[in-house]
Amino acid sequence: MTATANRLPLIYGGLVLLLGVAVLGSLMLGYTIYTPGELWDALAGSGTSEADTVIREYRLPRAIVAPLVGAALGVAGVIVQTLSRNRIASPDTLGLNAGASLAVVAVSAAFGTSSLFGLSFAAASGAFLTSVLVFALAATAGGLSPLRIVLVGVTFAGLMNAMVEVILTVNEAELQQLLFWLSGAFVDRPLTLVARNLPLLAVGGLMAAMLARPLDALQTDDATAQSLGAPVRVIRIASFVAVALLTGASVAMAGPVGFVGLVVPHAARALVGSRHSEKLGAAALVGAVYATAADILARFVIYPTEAPVGAITAVVGAALLLVLLRRRAA
Amino acid sequence: MDKALNGLTVDTLSVAYGARLAVDAISLAVPKGKITVLAGPNGCGKSTLLRAIRRLHVAKSGCVLLGDTDIGKMREKEIAREIGLLAQSPSAPEDMRVEELVRLGRYPHQAMLQPWSKDDAAAVEDAMFGTGVGHLRDRRIGSLSGGQLQRVWIAMVLAQQTDIICLDEPVNHLDMAHQIDCLDLVSRLNREHGRTVVLVLHDLNLAARYADLLVFMKDGGIVSAGSPRELMTEELIASVFGIQCRVIEDPVHDRPLCIPMRNSSPRFEVQG
Repeated sequence: MTATANRLPLIYGGLVLLLGVAVLGSLMLGYTIYTPGELWDALAGSGTSEADTVIREYRLPRAIVAPLVGAALGVAGVIVQTLSRNRIASPDTLGLNAGASLAVVAVSAAFGTSSLFGLSFAAASGAFLTSVLVFALAATAGGLSPLRIVLVGVTFAGLMNAMVEVILTVNEAELQQLLFWLSGAFVDRPLTLVARNLPLLAVGGLMAAMLARPLDALQTDDATAQSLGAPVRVIRIASFVAVALLTGASVAMAGPVGFVGLVVPHAARALVGSRHSEKLGAAALVGAVYATAADILARFVIYPTEAPVGAITAVVGAALLLVLLRRRAA
Repeated sequence: MDKALNGLTVDTLSVAYGARLAVDAISLAVPKGKITVLAGPNGCGKSTLLRAIRRLHVAKSGCVLLGDTDIGKMREKEIAREIGLLAQSPSAPEDMRVEELVRLGRYPHQAMLQPWSKDDAAAVEDAMFGTGVGHLRDRRIGSLSGGQLQRVWIAMVLAQQTDIICLDEPVNHLDMAHQIDCLDLVSRLNREHGRTVVLVLHDLNLAARYADLLVFMKDGGIVSAGSPRELMTEELIASVFGIQCRVIEDPVHDRPLCIPMRNSSPRFEVQG
């Protein structure tokens, strides 16, 4: 047994504990701060009407959405980094967030849709469509090499982000509302939206678990991976699908929350090492804690106004990444 | 029944890169439990042949037989349990630990979602012990020397527990001491564990020293195959490698030794 294997239950236990604390914090902290007693009463349905409404209608949904999105993006990030053999890759690198943003902006410019479900559907479709496009282009003539995947993804991301800017510039009326959406948020997400995207997350998560060992092999070069008996091409296709499902569901629920998919894999690797059976689970937990904590922070940095959570995850993420790099763990 | 008991046969195999045939209708019986070395000038198709033996290249025509089974019809993991291959410049993330890398060798023995077994653990321990890298198990592979790293990669292939092991220029980036160290390790695996070994080697003298069967290749075909003593003649070496040489008796090992003299067909003319 290695040192890591002995520490594993401790690390997982610690992360679960942290997640519990973060979720409780997410329920209690905000514009109004509630005591544990008030929280309990509200959840049990016997609190004051105001606390009832705030906790059950506003805080509970985001205390569910935030960890789900964080976990999904963390897992997607691990898969993308192995798929592209690139430590600075994330679902953003594949252009999925840019695709989601473009779809949302284009749909609201064309139809003036401002219903949350409309935007959410557009976001998921945009992410899926982009993953299909990137995959198809990376697969032609280059046989899905990691470098090609990144190049095509980055090119698409740049192109689509530019188009988002253009559309926003000519549609200033919608700008304010869309800008908040475009930096990602867990505010005002009804639980029906979560329920609708839960199947995508479940399938994506199951695929990730099944991909754990193949992804281990894919960390080596193609010839070695294939010599080990890993069907490299099939693994890449399945990884693409899993990432599209997880990221698509995430943007549908919370918009493009940046940096989670980039930072979390580094933290997970620093904690448990490079085996995916351990790294994917750790990434899910770290991502959940990270997104939930960022969501709490978003309520206080420009109090009483709420900051977009995507800005928080980016700022904290950048700092975290620098620390990891200094320790040479990243 | 164990297919590898029946040995490995290459049957009029051709492999194409686009329109060019890199391997042109080669037939070769790989002797079981021996060391076969493929040698030849750059671009002669020796690496392609080795990779095709492990089905990393698809045959254009002909086939590779394991016993009487065409490997073209086998499943990925099935081949990987019979034939291991160490690629020419294998790579893995630098922060991966030695034991994590060696454990990858168990991939073809594991079903999806099946937990790590006692057999897996034993195979990894044996492989690390056999290659002498046990004490490095918690080191990151990026911190190893070239010689240590090559041993770790060989340990990974050993953990695969295949009867046939292919190594593509395993000593390419190693200094002289580590070249001998690495090939001694390979030859010990062959002698003590009866593994069939197929090697691609650049260095003709190393090839002659370690090969039971030496295969000279040129332009995608086999020029000659036989014992090192049969093949290491001044005429044959001149025609295959394009170099004039003297072949003498290695004073230490009971093998022929080639002393290269000058290029018989100069590719780099000196001007002026």
